[in-house]
Formats: sequence, structure tokens, C-alpha cells
Amino acid sequence: MLSRLQAISVKVTDPFVSLSLVQASRSLQTSSQRLAPVPPLPDHGGKVRHGLIPEELFEFLYPKTGVTGPYMLGTGLIVYLLSKELYVINHETIYAICIGTIIVYGVKKYGATVAAFIDSINEEKVAKAQAAKDSHISFLTEAIENEKKEQWRVEGRGMLFDAKRNNVAMLLETNYRERQHMVTNEVKRRLDYQIALQHLNRRLQQEHMINWVEKNVISSITPQQEKESIAKCIADLKVLAKTTQAKAAA
Amino acid sequence: MTLSLFDQFLSPVVCWIPLVAIAITLPWILFPSPTTRWLNNRSLTSQNWFLSQATSQIFLPINPPGHKWALLLSSLLIFLATMNTAGLLPYTFTPTSQLSINMGLAGALWMGVVILGMRTQPTHSLGHLLPEGAPALLTPILVIIETISLFIRPIALGVRLTANLTAGHLLIQLTSTATLAMLTIMPVTAIFTGILLFLLALLEAAVALIQAYVFVLLLSLYLQENV
Repeated sequence: MLSRLQAISVKVTDPFVSLSLVQASRSLQTSSQRLAPVPPLPDHGGKVRHGLIPEELFEFLYPKTGVTGPYMLGTGLIVYLLSKELYVINHETIYAICIGTIIVYGVKKYGATVAAFIDSINEEKVAKAQAAKDSHISFLTEAIENEKKEQWRVEGRGMLFDAKRNNVAMLLETNYRERQHMVTNEVKRRLDYQIALQHLNRRLQQEHMINWVEKNVISSITPQQEKESIAKCIADLKVLAKTTQAKAAA
Repeated sequence: MTLSLFDQFLSPVVCWIPLVAIAITLPWILFPSPTTRWLNNRSLTSQNWFLSQATSQIFLPINPPGHKWALLLSSLLIFLATMNTAGLLPYTFTPTSQLSINMGLAGALWMGVVILGMRTQPTHSLGHLLPEGAPALLTPILVIIETISLFIRPIALGVRLTANLTAGHLLIQLTSTATLAMLTIMPVTAIFTGILLFLLALLEAAVALIQAYVFVLLLSLYLQENV
């Protein structure tokens, strides 16, 4: 309960009331006097026993009266009020017992569920923020990995350029060889043509000369010579026929 | 001190100091104001959740110009619900069991919505005096009936709340008096009456919340007609 006084001194918005509260309870305040950052709220409220009586009362009475002290005080107080008729038992008492039972039963049965539900509202808030943070972190991690991959790719760029250079060099070489080949072929073709031309020339010359020689020879053969040669041929033939016949008879 | 049946409905006075002001400002004291923190404690979180749910539910069917009434109606809901449920505790005074307070709230708010409707869109507001789809012959009678029902609304609003709470409190008083009286004479009957009292208390708890909601719901309906 006394810790709640500290909390109230921060929460009350009316400046006069809050200042006076702060001044009045300055001796009781144990946390350091700072305005910013805002001190965190305690996780749990002040401890109470039986849902109503703050624990501080029990601790206050413990040194003098032990554990049963506050209970004796409570019982004695109730008995005193009843016996002196300071509190009169009337119809409201019966109703108080009734509504007290309902309230206690309600809190005991549904208290935990309601508290869990309210905690879940807060946890959903935190989970949403955490999810946003996580998604951003994962996005950034992915970006880092992609960047590293790109850097690795850049290393291979040299190899890529070498390959391309080789490719281009090969193309140029091939092209050069092709052109050289073509040049050789063309030159050979022209030379072959010249050779063929020369051959043709020589042949024509030869044929012409042969024809001329033959013509001259044939024209130079006189009829007398012709007769003599024919007679010689016949004579030779006769001799040959005789030899042959002789060979055949032998 | 012995209490008579109607002592609970007297305006509480201690040494001629009226305590009714404290009784009426009780809801303001009980609910913490929102903080600037992102995550709050359970009471503030539940309060915020409940308020946002209730307000969105109530204002779902109302046109945007009527959303200016959100603060008024939601605070009225909390006010009435808290006063009704606080009156369930023994030895308390329930301000909403008094006709003065309820008529004050109902009359003023009803008049507000009607005047708003009449000033901004008089034709539309007056058109509500003739329900749609009514046969033409019945028009004169219907208009008279609808006018009467229009003027009875504030009385109905106020008296409904007063009557419900007063009747409930009175019944509780009677039943608990009967239980106490019979406790010494006929204990078994007293036990049955006690069970009846128990159920009555449960009913009263429900009625307290429902009546507050009904009050605000009807006002929102009147607002919906007129805005």
C-alpha cells in the first residue's frame, strides 16, 4: 500500500495535489528522484493478504504479536463492534453476506481467466512490435547475404572477362585463318589459270607444229616415192609370209 | 441503528453535510486516467479495452456526424454502470435510484438529440413521425401516436432506470429482512429465502449493467434517427 503512494505521486495529474503529495511523502520515497527516463512500473502491485488487507500490516504487527496478531486484532475488532452494538445486525448484514459470497466466488473463479485475457492483450501488442522488429531483422540479414553473394559474384567477374577475351581472340584467329585460307585459294586459282593458259598455249603450238610438219611431209611425198615404198612394203610382206609359213611348217 | 425499508433511498447526509456529491463522483475516482506508457497495468488495459469495444459497438450504426457524441455516451455508460454496480454493495447509496438524477440525464440528453435533429435536418426528423410503409388512411392517427411516443421518451428513459434500480433494491431489502426475521423462527424457510436473495443479488448485478447499457443504447438510437 505504501508503494502505491509512490505510484500515485507520479500518476495524479493535478499539479498542486501531486506536488503536495510528493513533498509530504518525500521521507517515504526510496527510489532516486529523477524525472527522465520514466522509472518502470513495478510488475506486481502491493502484496495483499485475503485480497483486502495489505501485507504491511502483518509485517508491522509481527515483531510484537507474532503471526496470529493481526487475526486476533481483526476478530477482537469485530466482536467489539458486535457486542457494543456499534454495528447492528440487520437485514443489510444478510445481504452483505450474500453479495460478499457472490463477489468472492466470482473473483476466485474468473479472476485468473480475466487476468490472463488482459495480459494477452498486452502480449499481443508486444508480439506485434516484436514481429515487426523480427521481420525487419530478417529482411536486413537477407540483404546482407545477398550483398555477400554479389561480392562473390564480382570476384568471378575476372574469370568471366578472361573467358570472353579468349572467346573473342578465338573468333579473331578463326576469322584470320579463314581469310588467309581464302587468300591462298584465290591466289592458287589465279596461278592455276595462268598455268592452264600456258598449257593450252603449248598444246596449241605443238598441235599446230605437228599439223604443219605432217602437212609438209605429206605434201612432200612424191608419187615416185609412194610407188617405191608400196613395192617395198609388198616385198617385205612376201618375205614375211614366207618366213611365217616356214615357221608354221616347222 | 435500525433501518427502515426506504432509508437506503434517502440522500446521504453526515452532520448535515450532503455526501451525494461523493456518491456521484465515485466513478471518476475509481477509474485510472490513461498514461503515456505503451504497456499499462491490468486495470488500465482492461478499462481501455472495454471502452474501445463498447464505443465501437455503440457507434457502429451511427453516421459520422454523430460520432461527436462518442465521448458523452461512453462516459455516460461508465458513469451509470459504475453507480449501478456500486449500489449493489451493502450500506451504499445509489444515485441512479433517484428520479431527479435520471430525469436530469434523460431529459437533457433526449432534448439535445431532438433539437440537433430539428435544427440540422428538420424534414428528416419530422419524417420519423410517420413510419415507412404505413397505409395512407392511418396517417393522421399515426402522426399523433408517434408525437406522443416522441415526448414520452425522456420520461420512459428516466423512469425505466429509476424503477429498475429502486425495485431491485427494494426487493433485496424485503428479502433480506424476511430472511433475518425468519432465521430464529423458521430456519429452513430462512434458508430458502436466503437462496432467493442470492439469486436476486445475481439478477440485480445483471440488471445494473444491462440498464446502464440500455439507457445509452436508446440514446444512441435517438441520435441515429436525428443525426
